Amino acid sequence: MQRRESRTAQIAELGVLTAAALIIFVIENQIPSPVPIPGVKLGLANIITVYAVYHYKWSDALLLVLVRVILGSVFAGTMISFAFSISGALLCLAGMIPISKLIGEKYIWLSSVMGAVLHNAGQTAAAVAVMKTTAVIGYLPYLMISGCIAGAFTGLAAQLVTVRLDSDRKKGEKSSNDDA
Amino acid sequence: MKNKNTAAAVVIAAAAVILLSSIAAVVISRRKPAGSTVEIISDGKVICTLDLSSEPDREITVEYKGRKNIIAIENGDIYMKEAECPDHTCMKTGRLSEAGVPIVCLPNHLIIRYKNGGGDTDAAA
Amino acid sequence: MTAACIFMGGCSGGNGYFDEPVSKSDFLMDTYMTVTVYNGSSSAPEKALSRAGELEKKWSVTDSSSEIYAADHSGGKPVTLSEDTADLVSFALSMNEKTDGALDISLYPVLREWGFTTGEYRVPEDSRITELLESVGCEKLSLDGRDITVPDGMSIDLGSVGKGRAGDEMIKTLKENGVTSAMLDLGGNIQLLGSKPDGSDFRIAVRHPSGEGNLAKVEVSDCAVITSGGYERFFEQDGNIYWHILDPKTGCPAHSGVVSATVIGKSGTLCDALSTSLFVMGTERAADLWRASDDFDYILVTDDGRAVITEGIENSFTLYDEFSSMTVEVVRREK
Repeated sequence: MQRRESRTAQIAELGVLTAAALIIFVIENQIPSPVPIPGVKLGLANIITVYAVYHYKWSDALLLVLVRVILGSVFAGTMISFAFSISGALLCLAGMIPISKLIGEKYIWLSSVMGAVLHNAGQTAAAVAVMKTTAVIGYLPYLMISGCIAGAFTGLAAQLVTVRLDSDRKKGEKSSNDDA
Repeated sequence: MKNKNTAAAVVIAAAAVILLSSIAAVVISRRKPAGSTVEIISDGKVICTLDLSSEPDREITVEYKGRKNIIAIENGDIYMKEAECPDHTCMKTGRLSEAGVPIVCLPNHLIIRYKNGGGDTDAAA
Repeated sequence: MTAACIFMGGCSGGNGYFDEPVSKSDFLMDTYMTVTVYNGSSSAPEKALSRAGELEKKWSVTDSSSEIYAADHSGGKPVTLSEDTADLVSFALSMNEKTDGALDISLYPVLREWGFTTGEYRVPEDSRITELLESVGCEKLSLDGRDITVPDGMSIDLGSVGKGRAGDEMIKTLKENGVTSAMLDLGGNIQLLGSKPDGSDFRIAVRHPSGEGNLAKVEVSDCAVITSGGYERFFEQDGNIYWHILDPKTGCPAHSGVVSATVIGKSGTLCDALSTSLFVMGTERAADLWRASDDFDYILVTDDGRAVITEGIENSFTLYDEFSSMTVEVVRREK
């Protein structure tokens, strides 16, 4: 899975991925939520997170997510949405990274489901802290179900992206080998 | 490879358990509330407790850091009529009807929910 | 319809209960106040609320036209107070002595430093608290008839007694308007006039110290039930929780082992003052004060999960099932 590639190329790729994640995040934020439950959304930016978890060191994936969350809050939200995003994102990564190592590339969608579920759990924990009441836990089961669905969806999308990028990369390597 | 498949099976099982228990929890939380007493919680503090069965129609304005929410009571129903917040999720929630699902305005730290327990009392100190 | 009820009630000798209780609410003194009356004049709740509004104008610390503001900004010169205000200040000063300093209306500058007055919470430096405590102390205030002198640099606020006294005054207004059965909910301060229309006691829940749900209920009539708890206003910093009830001796949140204090008695003013004081004093000193008095009972919840109650309330106190395993200790008078 780990590719031989120069660090510079990796950093450039990470930059592009972060920008892509940010754009997806900002655009998705403009679409009003169809369900009247705070926190329910597809989380399309997580396609990039899932991809990064599978293709980079954990520290790189973490950095990408941190930058995306911080800049995303600056562009689109308020400090309060930052608190929810960051706690969700960190718990999501903390679970998804070991799970991805355990179950391998064949089950990207599955890591993504677990990641989404953990993301929503982290958000709920932050909401309990911010609102100073456990009343918001009433939404947790809804968020878990929506997390399973959204996670499977973004996971499948990430799987498609992986297949595409891998085949592109092979072509690229081939052509650069030909050049040499 | 075999290990990975076993691991995947375990994770699938875990995901299935989460999904099924969440569905069960949703079913339970959608039950009708035991009483008609609701409480309005602003920034973690219960600011008032109302018995919807005997409340006249009216509006209650709650302020948090200068941002207003208008809660309306109509024919024994309670809902968020207006909210000075970016998403208005709380307004879309509609009328409070389920025991486990409160109306929540995250940006303004406001919650309206059915009160658990204490339904046999007249007030709380 | 209601007017007809009252008229008929008047004729039939005071049995004029409304078909539906009449209730009115307003946001006053920083809380949501609800007045519910079961008989008497249907305009009584409104009159009671406007009485509370009147008192708020006199006692507000931030309103520059209030008497307390005038006293706090007098630069050490005497200020003449209205009878309402002078009475309450005099009561608060006597409670300061009775509670050995646990209740202190001159603690306001310290409370403000912690940000509890504005919501911009912060933990002050120890040196800053020591400095501020220099200008705290009821003995430095002087009340001569209706003239109060607040030395320069000091401030007073009636937050720990004002809501209780407002409740008492509102009950007085209700009585003047023919009400004999009513309930006031002043943001968790409950004050009851008479019993319920069917003659039964009111059932008042006592909140769990976490602020979530209820711990117990008491069945009482014609009294005030007032709770002070750390859950009402607090903030968290570096893993520590700081609540708004400060110990005047240290200038820091009180840690007496009591996490919630409920006081039940005839006078709302006294119950309000004591709920704060007992929270600061802890179970031992609370029991001593109770044995030396005869005008209140209390329920204290401790940080090690005990409920300590006085014998006067023993028979009307019931723990909710979820907490039935909690230890309940009853404080009795020594014979």
